[in-house]
Amino acid sequence: MRQYVLRRLALAVPTLFLVSVLVFLLMQLMPGDVVTRMVEGHAYAPTLEALRKDLGLDRPLHVQYLEWIGGILLRGDFGRSYWTRQPIWDEFVRRFPVTLELALLTILISVIIGVVVGIVSAVRQDTAADYVGRILAILALSVPYFGLAVLVVVLPSIYFKWTPVWTYVAFTTDPLENLKIMLVPALVFGVTRAGPIMRITRSALLDVLRQDYIRTAWSKGLNERAIVLRHALKNALIPVISLVGLQTPLYIGGSVIIEAIFRLPGVGLFFFEALTRLDYPVVQSVNLIVAAMVVGLNLLIDLSYAVLDPRIRYR
Amino acid sequence: MGRRVALGIALVALITTSVGVPPAVGQTPKRGGILRIADREAPSLDPHLSVSFITHTWVSMVYSHLVRFPYGPEQKHTADFSILPDLAEKWEYKNPTTLVFSLRKGVKFHNKPPVNGREVTADDVKYSLDRFMAKSGFKSRFDQVQAIEAVDRHTVRITLKEPYAPFLNHLASPSYAVILPREVEQKHKDFNHPDAVIGTGPFVLKSYERGVRVVFERNPDYFMKGMPYLDGAVIEITPDAAARLSVLRAGKVDLGHMWGWLSPEDGKSVKKTNPEMVITPTGVIGQGKIYMRTDQPPFNDIRVRRALSLAIDRKAWNDALLFGEGCVDSGPVPCAMKDWKLDSATLDPSKAKYLVGYDPAEAKALLAQAGLGRGLTVPMFHWPGYAPPWRNYYELAADNLGKIGVTAELKPEEYGKYISTTYLGKYEKMAMGPVTPFTEVDDFLYGVFFPEQSNNRSHVADAELNKLLVAQRRELDPAKRRDIIYDIQRHLADKAYYVYVPNPPQYITHPPHVKGFKHHDGYGLGMRLAYTWLDR
Repeated sequence: MRQYVLRRLALAVPTLFLVSVLVFLLMQLMPGDVVTRMVEGHAYAPTLEALRKDLGLDRPLHVQYLEWIGGILLRGDFGRSYWTRQPIWDEFVRRFPVTLELALLTILISVIIGVVVGIVSAVRQDTAADYVGRILAILALSVPYFGLAVLVVVLPSIYFKWTPVWTYVAFTTDPLENLKIMLVPALVFGVTRAGPIMRITRSALLDVLRQDYIRTAWSKGLNERAIVLRHALKNALIPVISLVGLQTPLYIGGSVIIEAIFRLPGVGLFFFEALTRLDYPVVQSVNLIVAAMVVGLNLLIDLSYAVLDPRIRYR
Repeated sequence: MGRRVALGIALVALITTSVGVPPAVGQTPKRGGILRIADREAPSLDPHLSVSFITHTWVSMVYSHLVRFPYGPEQKHTADFSILPDLAEKWEYKNPTTLVFSLRKGVKFHNKPPVNGREVTADDVKYSLDRFMAKSGFKSRFDQVQAIEAVDRHTVRITLKEPYAPFLNHLASPSYAVILPREVEQKHKDFNHPDAVIGTGPFVLKSYERGVRVVFERNPDYFMKGMPYLDGAVIEITPDAAARLSVLRAGKVDLGHMWGWLSPEDGKSVKKTNPEMVITPTGVIGQGKIYMRTDQPPFNDIRVRRALSLAIDRKAWNDALLFGEGCVDSGPVPCAMKDWKLDSATLDPSKAKYLVGYDPAEAKALLAQAGLGRGLTVPMFHWPGYAPPWRNYYELAADNLGKIGVTAELKPEEYGKYISTTYLGKYEKMAMGPVTPFTEVDDFLYGVFFPEQSNNRSHVADAELNKLLVAQRRELDPAKRRDIIYDIQRHLADKAYYVYVPNPPQYITHPPHVKGFKHHDGYGLGMRLAYTWLDR
């Protein structure tokens, strides 16, 4: 087990290195440059050159890369935004709780909806309940979350002069108010993510329910509730957890749009605005931090299989 | 250009100090209340390091200039760029290249450390203007400045290299040279930190939570006594346009945009759902145009350019996309710039038709004369991301051109590429888009038509025109300058260097309890809100 974790951690190093190089190069490939963006159409040469020098963009690419990555490795310094000139790490730390809370609530909501509907669909296979559940899942899968979000924001404002958009309040300041603000975006996001979870739960559960040990449980005279929830569900959840793990980057990616629409000052919005402003260090550093988190999370998920299925061994 | 005349204007430029008379429009302004605004976030706060209009609008709440534009009851129309005293109570042209400003005495910076409410002096002015000239992306606005001197504690002398009529407008523009306290830069390195935002303007920046909101409160020591009326203003950061409209409809904010703007479509839609809203359709400075490489074939041939202009059915365009409310005669001077605009109806009709006319038959004939009777295919570079109705603009232009045999291939570009190439005139053949709504007419003339200027996207080089462009910059007598600018518009009428398309209005929208909020075509919000009050 310990060896397994160490090996996985060692493998994360080349992954993150590749991510850092890729992100850095991709930013360089983006058309336009931050200096021209800063002065928009009013550019004129001496200003451009001075700004470029000021931001260190006049140096060779490898020097820029080494300085960025070196700052992170040697000093834990993720650099500063070109625009605000504020430290990126501080801003990330300030904003991360918002995105984390949104992601956790979204996962919670999508898992609750997906698993419950999936169980009903599997246990009552080919009944009306199953069909309704499957139709809902397909519907949730096919509605883009950003479209649903805009509808949820716009329609009530037109018909009821009400809208679920508030000024963000931190959880630590006022938990109830914070949950009120986070609930609608998490619901919108969660509902659209519940579709795949429901489908996986249903098919995994159907699979498990046909296995010998379930037949044994039936023959012991256990009731349905105990069989489904205690015996079958635990094993059926392994692919569900993999799926949630695989979807993690999606939660971060989706938070970009959800945060913009619902005015949540999270990492997604930070990243998105940096991207539109070609704020290279912010895009690079946020990408790297998020990549490190995804790698870490995937490891945690792999480790969690053992809890669900003690037969799994790590070598 | 008479030097004596210019000296004569020096007397005209002497302006009294008594501004800030409260508006007398039937109702007496009430004091108090917080105005709430939903809009995007400014990318940074330092007014000299950023050229973002959002930054300049935000910090206009906090900073003053040497001189300023009229707002609220002071303005004659939305593009009134007369020069009023701000930190300078009077100024005088000692000669056509020397301006002397006398500062108001006893004006205090906001009471925040490290400045702690000390008085503004000529040193601050010199420091700020020097910093602008050293660091701003707009510094070319001050290219004509030779020297800035603090003569004494309350006197500043600015020497220009040559007579330069746009200079006072540039000094007054909220986008350029705000007056900053020097010691802040020593402490914070720049003016980006919220604690570094210390000015002399009508509001004080109280708090700024990135991504959430920025809070301003009344400056109790503001030099215009009794102003502002509001206790404060809050900008609720709302990046998404649909969300901004929703919070306006739901009554969570008083302005769904920092200047109260809505597109005509949104304005009409809000009128249906919220009939109580006060909605004022307003012509604003703006311009959309097709630009061409007039230095290369086929657009170096005036007949081809004229054909393009004649192909645009501006009236049908205005009716189809702008509810007939747009301005058809939109160039070269924008419609809203009433003080400088020469109405195309007063031009020689045989020339004006190449500016605003529609005649596909003549267009085809002109193309045939130019040897392009079988038509031609040209790219149309553009950025598709501009707000509606721009997306329809490109298609309608291509459609109009198609009817005379010109196939315009729509070439959408990513914003970064567009703004750093096409927008600066680096493109092949043809492109289309809007322009920055500058406050100084020179930027629509010299900046757009003089060789080597970054906004000369059509690569115009016209020797006769150049003389006029330079002459209007050097003429300090507004009446004489206007005559030259009229001459420029007469000269340009049939040249078709640019093909102008109708300009959309903006619907200034707010609930009825917001009073005294008047649109002004600059980027200044502070003075607009200083005259705004709430009747709740």
